[in-house]
Amino acid sequence: MSQAVDGNEAAAARGTGAPSARSMADPRRTSWPILLIFLVPALVVYGAMTAYPAFRTIWDSFFTIDGSDVSFVGLSNYRDLMSDETFWIAVRNTAIWSFVAPILDVATGLLLAVALYAGVPFARFLRVAWFTPVLLSYVVVAILWMWIYNYDWGIVNLALRAVGLGSLASSWLGSPNLALGALIVTHAWKWAGFNMVVCLAAIHSLPGEVLEAAELDNCGWGAKLRWIIVPMLRPTLLNLYILAFIGKMKIFDLVWIMTGGGPLWATETVSTYVYKRAFNWNSFDLGYPSAIATVWFCVVCAAVVTLNRLLRSTERLEY
Amino acid sequence: MGLRNFGRLAVLIAAVAGLAGTARAADATQITMWSNWPDEPAKKQWVADRVHEFEAADKQCAVKLNFIPKADIYTQAKSAVRTGQAPDIFYMEPDEPEFMTGGFLEPLDSYIDMAGVEDWAKPAWTLKGKLYGLPVEAYTVELYYNKDLVKQVGIDVPASFQMSQSGFADLVRKGAAAGITPIAEGVGDRPFPGGLVLFEALLRKLGSDDYAKLLNGQLSFKDPRVVEVMTWDKGLIDAGAYPKSFSTLKLGESHFYFYNTPGALTFPDPSWFTGRAFAAPESGGMPAKFPLGIMQFPAMDGGKCPECKTLAIGGSFVIYSKSKNKECAGALLKSMATVENGTKWMEQVSLQTGVKSDSSKIKSVHAAYFTELNERDKGAKFFFGTPLLYYRGKCAETYAQVMNNAFPAGLLSIAEAADKMDAACLKS
Amino acid sequence: MAAIAMRRGLGRSALALVIGIYTIYTAAPFLWLATMSVRTTNEISLDHYAWPHPFHWEQFRIAWVDSDFATYFWNSTVVVVGAVAVVTLVGAAAAHALARYRFPGNRLIYGILFSSIIFPPQITLISLYQILVDYDLYNSLFGLMLVYISLQLPLTIYLLESFFARIPQDLFDAAKMDGYGDLEIFIRIVLPLGMPAIATTLILNFIQLWNEFLFAVVLITDPEKRTLPIGIRAFMGDHFQDIGMIATGVMISVVPVILAYVFFSEKLIRGMTAGAIK
Repeated sequence: MSQAVDGNEAAAARGTGAPSARSMADPRRTSWPILLIFLVPALVVYGAMTAYPAFRTIWDSFFTIDGSDVSFVGLSNYRDLMSDETFWIAVRNTAIWSFVAPILDVATGLLLAVALYAGVPFARFLRVAWFTPVLLSYVVVAILWMWIYNYDWGIVNLALRAVGLGSLASSWLGSPNLALGALIVTHAWKWAGFNMVVCLAAIHSLPGEVLEAAELDNCGWGAKLRWIIVPMLRPTLLNLYILAFIGKMKIFDLVWIMTGGGPLWATETVSTYVYKRAFNWNSFDLGYPSAIATVWFCVVCAAVVTLNRLLRSTERLEY
Repeated sequence: MGLRNFGRLAVLIAAVAGLAGTARAADATQITMWSNWPDEPAKKQWVADRVHEFEAADKQCAVKLNFIPKADIYTQAKSAVRTGQAPDIFYMEPDEPEFMTGGFLEPLDSYIDMAGVEDWAKPAWTLKGKLYGLPVEAYTVELYYNKDLVKQVGIDVPASFQMSQSGFADLVRKGAAAGITPIAEGVGDRPFPGGLVLFEALLRKLGSDDYAKLLNGQLSFKDPRVVEVMTWDKGLIDAGAYPKSFSTLKLGESHFYFYNTPGALTFPDPSWFTGRAFAAPESGGMPAKFPLGIMQFPAMDGGKCPECKTLAIGGSFVIYSKSKNKECAGALLKSMATVENGTKWMEQVSLQTGVKSDSSKIKSVHAAYFTELNERDKGAKFFFGTPLLYYRGKCAETYAQVMNNAFPAGLLSIAEAADKMDAACLKS
Repeated sequence: MAAIAMRRGLGRSALALVIGIYTIYTAAPFLWLATMSVRTTNEISLDHYAWPHPFHWEQFRIAWVDSDFATYFWNSTVVVVGAVAVVTLVGAAAAHALARYRFPGNRLIYGILFSSIIFPPQITLISLYQILVDYDLYNSLFGLMLVYISLQLPLTIYLLESFFARIPQDLFDAAKMDGYGDLEIFIRIVLPLGMPAIATTLILNFIQLWNEFLFAVVLITDPEKRTLPIGIRAFMGDHFQDIGMIATGVMISVVPVILAYVFFSEKLIRGMTAGAIK
């Protein structure tokens, strides 16, 4: 193909002094112009819209803003943060959420995907039904579940009273011991379907021969799951876990609408606390909430890097 | 590739849509105004009427009026003033003084007729001698009750309409025994209702001066008088005064709880109660023949000021200090602040106002309600401001979590609640 | 053999039961919402779980016409479809470069682009506001679209990069041998092969942006430019939560998304099952 030959020569000519033989020998290297074509749009978006807010946040954390006066306070915001009781409660709540809930999410998603792959009846309908909660906005999910958890006429308490377990009927969102758990359940309800879809896609992209071979060996689904699917899906599951982890570290909308961080700060998360300090604290000071955001950013980055190191296998699985 | 073309088309569509949305400048100066109350027809009508009258009278100014829910107004306003994009006039309540102190508001002294504003309404918006907001909405904190149910449980309301400390405790006990919720209240979506009974009692026990000290962080919650009142309140709580769904019941739902299903004996509420109660019953209003009564909050034993009552300013309008159309904005507010308009507010909205009004000229279908309300307010010594109009930052947050929610929900002991409040609010 | 068959049989019914319960758990709240969308708030307050009687279909008309949902729907469509199209393309290009090519700074760029997921939007909101004002894009749908693109870019790159990295290198070697240029490889090999991941990312971005609220409420103040989530909020007033209308508004907002998902998920599944093309 003459066009391809031209393209090759052109690529060779454009390459930074690399002979054509070399560019053909290492397809993982390419010329700068090509790289730029791929990367520049993303970098432009990042530079214009994400970099400035990110750096501005870190910058602001060293100041206190009072109306229009901006005064440099150095590390004072950070020092106050360390002794801020509400902040540490928020950290604890967010940590519980972030380490526990993703396991639930990913496990549920995987099991649902396997069920669909194994061929349950009405698979198409189930796929849509199980995915519907993902499509709902947080506002809707929050409202629905506030009604479900309602003390007087919510379905949970009604069901408990109907089966004679009326003594267990409680104010799910109003009790400091139960509120966080209730929110975790709601959030898991919303996201299970997404994990299912991703796992399903991943299972489908596994080579069919391996699973067929297991079938021939009379492996039950339990064994198949444990010895074949999970190991081969490891990168996907890890990605989902990290994604869920980050999502929970940032969680805001659901908590804000359902409990506003209450009762007695039982559901206060880092994001709701940042919002309160930035918008509800009767001051225009952005310095303190910026400090919280910066600290949290470092914490999450460190956590993600650590998780990656611990859990990721070293080679990229190629098959 | 189809995807690429589609992407290009989408960007084009979006760009055109963005350009098409750019407003064209009118010949008259256009000012933007953000008001609250999108879901309260009476207040919304009053504001819309004032704007129309103003536009008809002053051809130089056109007004773009938006009605936005309160939570969104605050989020938008707080973001907008920081970037210079705030509207010319917007809604604000006195519980956000940082706008005033931050220099984001324009003083109104040179624009409106100061004689048109009640003197007691001015301090809420006054800073360094200048008035920064037009106090349209004013309210007193009242204790509404169901005459029939109260009589049914065997309680006689005295002629002064103020029960004693033990009398009220008796009411709670009798209500709980009869299976009727004594006090309908819900803090699901508000930071103040749960504290009403306690803080009104504190006002009557401590008197205006010491109550002001308490709200300014100069008096500890461990003061023996405060502890006495809290003990009485805890007695009510433990006797089952509040609904079980107290923590999650929304304010609107608590209204319904009181005058519809399942019904309650009393309902402490600011007098903007009428905004919901006087709506049509299908929209959640009070049923036509509901036996509504108003009583005073109970007098405390050895209380310094049983006739004290809380009066506060609610929704007000302010002008953005960086507005480019201050003349028009000022003229609009000036046209609002007249006795005639104040009277219209009271008539149409059935609520007090910080604008001067002429009570003799009020013609309202709710005349009986007004008569009763005025009687309860006669001879009252008014204290200006609710706790949240004084508490700021961490103290306000602690009040919302502790005094408003956890303590009335029975989750904290008196000592714990007092400790937390002192830690957050006491200026040592 | 019989024991195994019986175990399989029991296992199957247990599985069916679990799946049945889980399906009810997932779908019931939504169906309840659907019934509420044709009842008035009064009726709902009296009995929360009753079957609609009569069916108040006029609530849909009220929402669409009187409450301007038609406008909000158009605004949402323009902003979200535009943003998703652009972010998918830009993200796919960057993800491909990061996944496939070795060059100095590869992991650094990936780290920078990915880390921006972590900043809480409540803080970056103010700075983004300032940026839009400076570029004169405040209170415009185009500005909101740009913000949405920047919001979803890190996630898109993260998801696509990990998928693209798993495409076997032999394909590329073979293509290079055949003389394909890098851009051609991207368009003819990576995009088709990556369809399942791209579709997944597309769906996720679409859902998150369609329901995005915080930036829309702050950056758009003209009522004509509002998006659907804000339109629904209008029914959640301070005094009166119009539950019936909220449900109606939600149905208007959600049903097209479900239909789009059903349509696209067919392609997604077809892409997945055909994905193992060697």
